[in-house]
Amino acid sequence: MEGALLRRSEDIQRGRQLRIFFNTEEVECYEGETVAAALLASGRQVLRRTARRGEPRGVFCGMGVCFDCLVQIDGRSNRQACLTTVKDGMQVETRAADGSWGSQR
Amino acid sequence: MTESSAVIVGAGPAGISVAVTLAECGLQTTVVDENPLAGGQVFRQPPAGFQRAASAVSDSASRRGDELRRRFANLGDRIEFLGNRKVWGLFDSRRLAVANAAGWRMIQAERLVLAPGAYEFVPPFPGWTTPGVMTPGAAQLLAKSMHVLPGKRVLVAGTGPFLLVVANCLHDAGVRVVGVVECTTRSEALKAIPGLLSNLALASQGWRYLRRLRRAGIPIHTGHVILDAQGQEQVERVRFAPCDADWRPDRSRAVTVEVDTLCVGYGFIPRSELAQLAGCDMRWADELGGWIPATSEDGETSVNAVYVAGDGGGVAGALVAEYQGTLVGLHIARQAGAIDEATLQARRREVVRRLKKLRRFRRTLDKLSRVRPGLTELATDDTVVCRCEELTRSEVDIGVDAGCATYRSLKVATRLGMGPCQGRMCWPAMARRVALRTGRSMEQVGLISVRPPIVPMSVGELAEPESAETIRSGGSAT
Repeated sequence: MEGALLRRSEDIQRGRQLRIFFNTEEVECYEGETVAAALLASGRQVLRRTARRGEPRGVFCGMGVCFDCLVQIDGRSNRQACLTTVKDGMQVETRAADGSWGSQR
Repeated sequence: MTESSAVIVGAGPAGISVAVTLAECGLQTTVVDENPLAGGQVFRQPPAGFQRAASAVSDSASRRGDELRRRFANLGDRIEFLGNRKVWGLFDSRRLAVANAAGWRMIQAERLVLAPGAYEFVPPFPGWTTPGVMTPGAAQLLAKSMHVLPGKRVLVAGTGPFLLVVANCLHDAGVRVVGVVECTTRSEALKAIPGLLSNLALASQGWRYLRRLRRAGIPIHTGHVILDAQGQEQVERVRFAPCDADWRPDRSRAVTVEVDTLCVGYGFIPRSELAQLAGCDMRWADELGGWIPATSEDGETSVNAVYVAGDGGGVAGALVAEYQGTLVGLHIARQAGAIDEATLQARRREVVRRLKKLRRFRRTLDKLSRVRPGLTELATDDTVVCRCEELTRSEVDIGVDAGCATYRSLKVATRLGMGPCQGRMCWPAMARRVALRTGRSMEQVGLISVRPPIVPMSVGELAEPESAETIRSGGSAT
């Protein structure tokens, strides 16, 4: 999916453009967006892999209840992507099935 | 210590309404919320720095939200708003442990108002953990607040009027909404029309949502239920089928649609964990979404100086939440001596009258959307039912059949509810399954056990509370 197509363009003027890092990839986003919104807008639905079955997970409740969107942010593990606001240069890392951070495997 | 007359947890319609009512009576309050801005989920705003064009669509609900937030902002000198804060614990019924990104601190509340709101009920079904399956609320937040589309081709499913709101919102945002799947059968919905017409304003709002979907050519499949979501890394297909009055599907008549996103939710569950931590007497109220603290009409719980307002005290929507918040605010204002008895009674009467006018409408909706047994049968043996611990239904059933019939015993035996969500996602559906499987009542099966920290905190974080200066937003002395 093309990221640009998932941002609404009508009726809105966004904040300052920023970039964050998703594992090693650069992601363009806007000040005020949550990490979850920024990643979804760039077409990234998978935010981690589970420990037991190695299954992909993404945004589910979107409001901080389900803890499915846990990522590592600037070295701090298990942060909720849906409740964290992006900061310029922020390093977002995914949890792999083997428990390591920073890869999608 | 805070000088506030009350600490309010939650800045949705109920919490804002409590704070505004108290501030208008001249009293100081402190409001704590997880989000950076006030509004809660229903009145969630775009982030600071985003500017909406004046032409942006507004309906009566969003105008109500704008009005409530404007009053909240205008009374800012009396309302200390602590955004981006999570309450991770509650001690001695009114001592709150409040965390932000920098650390945490204790806030002693002279009076505590819990206005935590509700979250969506999604019973497990095959494929419900696949990325692209999300709650209607999540999709709405993305589209309305973040101005990001949850996907390109979306199916909206579950039950309740909120589905119509979200389907409209997504359609307006430019998403291809391929349909709405609603469990309630057409004949049951038709029978509810007289009850719904008891409130013409709300009924016509619902009618407008329906008509707009019809004009957009979006089909509404009443009397249908989702069977499963398919796809490896992302949802690719969703199957649904006609269901009976108990919402049991006729699998032989399943329909498949190709979508990249499934928004699914079957009503709302009150967030009860803080009321439980405060030691409030809890009661099971099926028609109001689950376990709620027992309260008086003015929101007093069984614990001295602890109040509840809004969906957290029983799901009834934003308008009821706002009125309940006013009642709690007036009650506290009287307690604090800020208004006299005559003023209290006069204002109270008016709010109670408005709440009564909503009663028949609310009861009709509650009856329509009450959870039916078919929903607890959608999962198969190998469906993950505990999203955190990845337990399958058969693994939990083994525990149940071995004699575990409460949350606590199942948690010990199977790890159900042991993960970071602490049973909030799995237990509402699994409690129903345990009740059906063992022939016990929901009261006997019971509710989740809650203990702090109620959000994940590392030992390091717990050991090092930050200084008051870094965590308070400034303003009132500490």
